[in-house]
Formats: sequence, structure tokens, C-alpha cells
Amino acid sequence: MIKMKKTFLLLFALLLSGSLAFAQSGQIEFTEFDLDNGLHVILHQDESTPIVSVSVMYHVGSKNEQPDRTGFAHFFEHLMFEGTKNIPRGEYSKFVEKSGGTLNASTSPDRTYYYEILPSNQLEMGLWLESERMLHAKVDSVGIQTQKKVVIEEKKQRYDNSPYGTFQVELMKRAFKEHPYRWTTIGDPDHIRAARDEEFQHFYDEFYVPNNAVLVIAGDIEPENTKKLVEKYFGEIPPGKGKIYRPDIVEPPLNGEVRDTIYDNVQVPLLLQAYRSPAMGTEDFYALDMLNTLLAYGQSSRLYKSLVDQQQLAMQAGSFPFPFREPGVNIAYAFPNMGNDIKEVEDAMIAEIEKVKSNLIDEHEFRKLQNQIESDIVTGNTRIATRANNLARYYTYFGDAGMINSELEKYMAVTREDIQQVAKKYFNADNRVVLYYLPKSQKQ
Amino acid sequence: MKRILSIAVLFALVTAASAQLDRSTPPVPGPAPEVQIGDYDKFTLPNGLTVIVVENDKVPVVSYSLTLDVDLPREGKNAGYISMAGNLLRAGTTNRTKSEIDEEVDFIGGTLSTHAKGIYGRSLTKHSEELLTLMSDVLLNPTFPQEELDKQVKQNKTGIQANKEEPRAIAGNVAGKLVYGKDDPYGEITTEETLDNITPQLCRSYYQKYFRPNAAYLVVVGDISKKEAKKQAKKYFGDWEEAPVPQNMFPFPGGYDEPQVVIANKEGANQSTIMVTHEVMLPPGHPDMAKAKIMNEILGGGSFNARLFQNLREDKAYTYGAYSSLSPDERVGRFSASAQVRTSVTDSALTEVLKEMETLQTELVDEEELQLVKNVLIGDFGRALEDPQTVARFALNIERYDLPQDYYENYLKRVEAVTREDVKAAAEKYLKPEKSVILAVGNASAIEDKMKLFSPSQTVTQYDYYGNIVEKKAVAANISPMDVIDDYIRAIGGKETIRSVNDLKMTMGMQVQGMPLEVNVYQKKPNKFYQATSMQGNVVSMQVFDGEKGKVKTPMGEQELQGEMLAQLKENAKIFPELDFNADGIELKLDGVEQVNGKDAYKIMVTKPSGLTTTMFFGVEDGLKCKEVSQSPQGTVSTTINDYQTVEGIKFPKAMTQVMGPQSFDIDIKTIEINAGVEDSQFSIN
Repeated sequence: MIKMKKTFLLLFALLLSGSLAFAQSGQIEFTEFDLDNGLHVILHQDESTPIVSVSVMYHVGSKNEQPDRTGFAHFFEHLMFEGTKNIPRGEYSKFVEKSGGTLNASTSPDRTYYYEILPSNQLEMGLWLESERMLHAKVDSVGIQTQKKVVIEEKKQRYDNSPYGTFQVELMKRAFKEHPYRWTTIGDPDHIRAARDEEFQHFYDEFYVPNNAVLVIAGDIEPENTKKLVEKYFGEIPPGKGKIYRPDIVEPPLNGEVRDTIYDNVQVPLLLQAYRSPAMGTEDFYALDMLNTLLAYGQSSRLYKSLVDQQQLAMQAGSFPFPFREPGVNIAYAFPNMGNDIKEVEDAMIAEIEKVKSNLIDEHEFRKLQNQIESDIVTGNTRIATRANNLARYYTYFGDAGMINSELEKYMAVTREDIQQVAKKYFNADNRVVLYYLPKSQKQ
Repeated sequence: MKRILSIAVLFALVTAASAQLDRSTPPVPGPAPEVQIGDYDKFTLPNGLTVIVVENDKVPVVSYSLTLDVDLPREGKNAGYISMAGNLLRAGTTNRTKSEIDEEVDFIGGTLSTHAKGIYGRSLTKHSEELLTLMSDVLLNPTFPQEELDKQVKQNKTGIQANKEEPRAIAGNVAGKLVYGKDDPYGEITTEETLDNITPQLCRSYYQKYFRPNAAYLVVVGDISKKEAKKQAKKYFGDWEEAPVPQNMFPFPGGYDEPQVVIANKEGANQSTIMVTHEVMLPPGHPDMAKAKIMNEILGGGSFNARLFQNLREDKAYTYGAYSSLSPDERVGRFSASAQVRTSVTDSALTEVLKEMETLQTELVDEEELQLVKNVLIGDFGRALEDPQTVARFALNIERYDLPQDYYENYLKRVEAVTREDVKAAAEKYLKPEKSVILAVGNASAIEDKMKLFSPSQTVTQYDYYGNIVEKKAVAANISPMDVIDDYIRAIGGKETIRSVNDLKMTMGMQVQGMPLEVNVYQKKPNKFYQATSMQGNVVSMQVFDGEKGKVKTPMGEQELQGEMLAQLKENAKIFPELDFNADGIELKLDGVEQVNGKDAYKIMVTKPSGLTTTMFFGVEDGLKCKEVSQSPQGTVSTTINDYQTVEGIKFPKAMTQVMGPQSFDIDIKTIEINAGVEDSQFSIN
């Protein structure tokens, strides 16, 4: 939701795909119902364009994994394109392309999301594809072997061999000791390698069940008929039998700064300060996000103006939260200018944060933040696909899809004092992990 | 009772539905939805400004897009000034400085950008008056401040420095010049020289001539009524004065009778950027549009199933991706197919591209392949309509190009109607493999011969970044690489003089991200070396080599160099390494004469015992080294020596430009001291 510089946006795309946009201020209308098998269904009608988005969010992410089997949730995102009992291997996405549609999927620590956007006369195609996936996806050794290779290559390409690609892994393992957020979605390739085929089957049976999912259909639909079609394709899918594993682990406070240096294949050093932060949906989360806007939104923002423009210490600087369901981290970062000591850049960044703690921001600047947030929320949620994703996420995380309509209110309830207060509460040395990414050539 | 009934009903429904459901075959789609393209309103202000309004109240946002409908003139020796004028519109007005504009745009959470042919602004509807105040100020009162121009010129020059090493940028320049011709505005290339010719007056004159309401469209999209839009247009753009706008006409490029086979050099490249490209006559709205678009999609569109992708990537694994484009244009359209491939398959890849083009001209496509592409296009079209800006673009095109009102309504019908024969006919008409510019940018000496096979006359012409022909002059048979090196040594002062240099102290200055850096270098025979980089008096990095051991020191700590890095430092630590080029283990190769900064220069490849190759260029006339390209762990480093100075009878570089990846640095050698008695302790490792 907060605008970031393009390059850094790319860098963080790994993590944030599909998770950042919030709701708009205008009311988004929708209806909901449950099937007997526990599948929750949300319909959102918008006839302005003859397209339909069919999406399923499974309430399973990397946090539902066992510590010795990390990477499973993301692995399934791959496996779920292998085919089903009725869809031959490799044909899943072809059906979509042939129908004039597009599809994709993403995994976060909290959920896994699949969607198709199709011409509205292809609604049944979307329902067939997603119900096939839920009912009897191919979880067999051919697919598992293929996807093991693909995922291990993906880790090499996107994490190990990409500049700063390991930042999330390095941060999270230092920021968390107990909570499963301590590992990231890509997981440990050794765990995937070691896993036996039946473990994958168990994972599918436990999590890929209607009672652990929400189906959202948005766009040019006729609600009554759509309901019938949902029954037709999803009604026969049996509910899961066992208990679904949901970790209930509270991470103790960090209690002291963690500081480290990573030598990587990078040209430009990177400063990362990760502050342990409140969960999405809490009052503090909204206040902290306003603080991020103050620090990092636009060329008149505090960090940009001070570090990049005036002191010319950094090429780029910013601050943003990881939008996690449970308490996570908020990251402030800077790429130092060539020839600038990274410590000097860090001091300048801390100085800006200290200013927020000691001086209440003035009314004018506060008004600017509110305008920026409002503009982003309103313009950020215009597409049907984004609305579908947000409805699914609010339902999955909070059991309340209606939160899509109250985001702006929550931001506008934040006061200047709240912003100062969250700066004091969270942006402390004791509560942060600091990482320096330095070129390998500087390693002793 | 009621509850039981409802469950029973539900049960009946489920079983009925299940009974009908055969999961083994995909569902049959319903009738294709009717695509409704939103309506638009149009009116014209007394000053001639045409305003198009697309109402869409889904979200309380409104955007204003001002577009000039003008044919741009040639820029000639001032190339780049028109786009500069566009950028500078937002850089200051008689009422506001640039930072005031930034601040005010941020305050309303809006967007405001300017370009050579218009201005775009967007904000929440409730802030639209503030946005329009800024937009109208930028449109009506720009000042084109000299200091903002200077900043932009500097940034553009840095961009050119980087682009010179960027194969795709080189290919773009060369192909543009060849396809459009050097006298066509589309073929013009911005250079350091043309940038220096740009003045605020030039920018202002472009603005005054072309930014006129009678040659412009204002497209208003979003949560706004026609009435309100009219009121705003009058208030904020009503005072904009009309005036006749110059007409510029240029002939359609003549094209070629046979393939133009060209290469451009990218020193040390292990990949070639290949391209087959030519002009096409395909104005927007042309009746062939759907056929031509489908033909191009089949050849090299974005789909995984496109032929170039399947052939060059999936089948041959020459590349990560290969694509083609067919761009309609009012004046001169363009076809282009391109890929980045391994050097060794430069010719094979081009052969496959040409073959795929020819196949489309000679064989009918499969019905299934055609239908898949149609479905993809129809789907893309439908999804694009979700964005009200698409509707606005359609409206603008209908007005600008005088298309029928139902042009876009019928788009899908035209796509559906395209036959296999149409595709073949479009390929015959719009692809010209035998009259193309066939281009490869890569390691010129490695690809030159390979490229001959594409030219009936066996002619391969080499171009540089600026689109100038590189005269590859043959080297006289009696010149050896060592002769060139000896000449160089003579030119800088002679063997005896430079041998007498026992030690050397140099100070260099450079700007990095606007900050001055100073580099101090100490060298002493036989190969002691020390270099310190400092900023505002503080040393930020240091490198030292005492003849055997080397060390690097940065704010993050010290590192003693080992292995390859040590060997490299050792090779580079001598004061005049060229004195020992005849020594064992160094291989020299003379690879012709090329132009560097407009001068003929011998190209010498120097391969050192470590295996690293450095390419050096020495002026044919003056014997002086003018360029050096070397490989470092950070990638290719290219150093151009722009000027020399004489110190105690020896010529040293005075000004250099160094390019590394996207970065470019100008380096001045400020002071040089010879035999000042540098102590050995200067090179102490501890």
C-alpha cells in the first residue's frame, strides 16, 4: 500500500505479492454463505466489465509447517498446477489461456491463494478448475519429483543468487526464536528433499479441504445462478476429517538489539533495521503504518528529504511493514551512497526516528499523511481481482470480510499522538534486528 | 419442520447437481458476453481545446490527461531538447519552485507528470481543484529554469555514458537510424554534444509553438459529471491562448532492396543482442489491424506458445526469451523481432528468426493455434476494459484518428473473423525478412564473419552507439602489436625518460552522486602501490601492495588479499606496465583499427598470465592510449582518456571517464609528482 521505490519494490516483491493493498472507502457490497462441507463462499457482483475472478484462499501458510518440514506450503503452490484426476499434467494453465483468461498463485506465512480471471461466460471453467484442485489434485511422485527440482532451482535463482535475496531469511531467523515466522515461505530445500510422498499427501488432506478455505467469486456474475454452480462443483467435496494444525505460539520480546553483517554478491551495501511490530488489524498497526508514511512516502517524506536529498547519504531510503496476521516486523532500510559509511547512514536514520519520538508532528504534515493514505486506499482497490483478494484475506485472517469497508476509518482514527506513541513503543534499539548487507569483497 | 424442509430442498439440489456433473470434461462456456465499452462525452472550448469526458463513479478519483496532437519537428544539432522541454514544464513556474510543486502534489496524495506531448495529473475528486491549480500553473507559466536544465543535462549525460555499454540501447539507436533514416525525426539520436546545445530558450520556443489548445485534447476520466468537467476545463484551461501550430511533414522511409546486415561492438560481451526490424505502413485503425496483430502474436507475442519463444527457447535453448512486436503509427510503423543469445549462436538464432517469419508467409497456421491466439486477445481486451483509462484511450483514438464511433465495439468481431488465409496474407504484407535491418550487438570480432551469410553482397557494416559507421581500417601488414606499444612509450616520453621514474604521487578528483571524492595514489618501483579514497578529508577506502602482499581496508574492516585478487593487483601495480609487455606470459594481439571518440585507434588485446584480457586502444596518429576496457569482479570497466598533460617530459592522463555498469564517473587527475622520494613505509602492509 505504501509506495516504494521501484527497485526496492522488486526486491520485496518476493514477500509481498498480493498482500499490500487495502480496501477503498466506497462500500463494497458482497454476500456470503457456507456450504455443508464448511466451504465459505463470498460473492461480489460488479457488472461493469464482463469478466469474473474465481479465487480460493486456503488458510495455510509457512507458519503451519513443522520446523523440520519448512517450505511445504509454498511447495504446494507449485504442486497445485501439476494437474488433477481429470486434468492432465501441464494442462491446468492451458485451459485458462484457451478460455482467454489469466491465472496465478502466491504463498505467504499466513495463507495460500489461487485465482483465475476469465471472461464472464467462462465462470464454470474457473469453478471446475478450482474444485478439481480442492477435490483431487495430483499429489503423486512424478509431480513431486518435478516440483522438487523446480522449487530448489527457484530458491537458487530468486534467493541465493539474487542480490539481497536472502534478506528476509536472515532477518526473520534473528527476529524470531519461537514463532514459525522464524522461517520464510521458501523454507529449507533439505526439508523438501527429505520429505516422503505420503507426507505431501497428508499435508493436502489436512489443509486443502473446504472447511479450511474461502471461495471468492467477483465480477460480472448473476448471484443466484452462481450459488447453484458453486453447489454443483464444490458441494460434493468432502470436508477434512482431522484437526487442522494452527500454531499458538507467542514470541517473547526480543529484549536487546541483534546486530549482524551479511557478506553477499552485491555492489551496493544495504542497511536494514527490522523492528518487531504489532499484528495486522490492531490499532497500533495502523498508527505504525502512518508512521511509515511520514518517514517514506514521496519526495517530501522525512527519510527521503533528509538522507537522500539534503545530506545525500543514501541513494534510497524507506520504511514499511510486513503485513502479517500475527506480530511481525517493520523494516526501515537505506542504500548508502558510494563512499558513505553505512554506520553514518544508520545514525542519520535513527536521528530521524528520534525526531518523531521527541517532537509531535505538526498539523499540516499530519494532514498530508491522511491525504496520502486516503488516496492510496481509494485508488488501490479498483480492480475486481484486488477486491477479491482483500475479501478473501479479511475473511481468512479475521473471519470478517466486511473489514474491507472499514480500513480508511481505522487509519483516520489515528492521532498525531498515536504516531508518536508507536514510534516510542516499537522503534527502540532493544526491539530491533540490524543487518548490514555488504559486498563480499569487504569480508575479512 | 421448516429447517428440515430447507435441508431436504438443499439435498435435492445437491444431488440433482451432482448427478449432472461429469467432471471428466471441462465445462462448455456460455455465449460470449457482450462487451460494452463505456460512452464518452466531447466538447470544445472557444480556444479550440477538445475535451473528452469519461464518467466512471466506481471510485472517487479523477484524472486529467492533456495530450498534444502534433507532428514533432526535426531536432538536428539540438537533439533531445523537445523531451527536455517536456520534463522541465514541472520544474518551476512563475508562481512556484520545483520543490514547492513536489510538496503540494504530495500534500493532496496526487500525481503530476509532464512530458514532451502533454501533462498527466490524478487525485481524489475532492482535491481536483488543487490538482488543476497546479496543472494549469505548470501548463501556462513554466519558467524552464537554467539550473534544473543543467541538472537534467547532467543526468542525461550520465545516462548516455551508461547506455554506450548497454547492448539494447546501442541496438535501439542503430536500428532506429537505419530503419527511419538519419533525416527522419524518429531516427535522431541524442548525444553529449546535442545536449550541450540545449538552452532554456529552445525549450521555451518548443513550448510556445506546440503547446496550444487548438492542437490538444484534454481527457477527463473518473468520478466527475460532464457539467463539472466543463466548468473546470473553462476555469483552468480557458485562458490558454490558441495559435497556429507548425506542420511538419516527412517522407515515408525508402526502405531497402536487400537486407542491411549490421553489427555494433560491445567489448567483452558473451551474448549478442539480435534484431530483425523494418518499417511498416500501418496507421492506427487500419482495416488490417486485427489480422496483423494476430499474425504478430503467433510469431512472437507474449504467449508461451508463440513460435519464436517455442523455437529459440524451448526447442533450441538459445535464449531466455525471444519476442516480436508490430507497432502501428500514424507516420511510420515498425516491426521488430529480437532476443539476447549466446555469442556462438548469433547467426543460428537470426537464421531461425528469419525462418519463422518466412514460414508464416508460406504456410497456413493451424486452426487451433489461431483460435488460441484469438482467445488470448479477446480475454486481454475484456480485462483491459476494467480500467477506465482504457475507455479514455479508445475515445482519444477515435477522435484523433477519425475512426468510426463503433470501431472498438466491433474489435472482437474483427478478431473472430480473422482466418488462416488472413494471417498468411498479413505476414506477406507486413513482414519483410528479405528487406530487413539484420542487427547484432555483441563481440564484433567474434560475430562479424558469422553475419556475412545474411547479406547477398557479403557486406557487414559496423556502427557505434551514435549510429555512425565504424570504419574498420585494415592495419598495415608490417605493424605488430609490439610496434604499437613501442609507439605509445615513445609518445608519452620515451623508454629512458619513463624508466627514470622511481616513484609517483598522484591526486585525482571525481564526483559520486554529487559528492566530491579524492583519490591519492602512490607508486614506487618495482611494483609497490598504494591508493586511498577520501571524502571531505576522511579516508573511506584504501588499497596497498608492497610488492608481495596486498591489503584492502574499508570502513567495515581490513582484508588481506589472496589468490586471484592478489595476482591481479600485482599485475596492475607497476607504474608503466606497458614497459614489460614483451615479457614472458603476456600475449598481445592487434585487432584492427577502430574509432574512439572520433579518432582512429589500434585495438590491442592484452592477455596477462592470470588469463584476464584487457582491451587497449592507441591513437593511430598520436600513439597515445585513448581507451581501456577490463574485466573486474564487478563487471566490465571501460576507461576513456579524454585529455593528457605533460609533467617533467612525460605525458599522463588529465581527464578520464570511467563506466561500470549503469554508473559513469568523470575523473580529473589534479596533481602529479615524480620522484618526490616516496618512502617504502608508505606501502607497509601493517
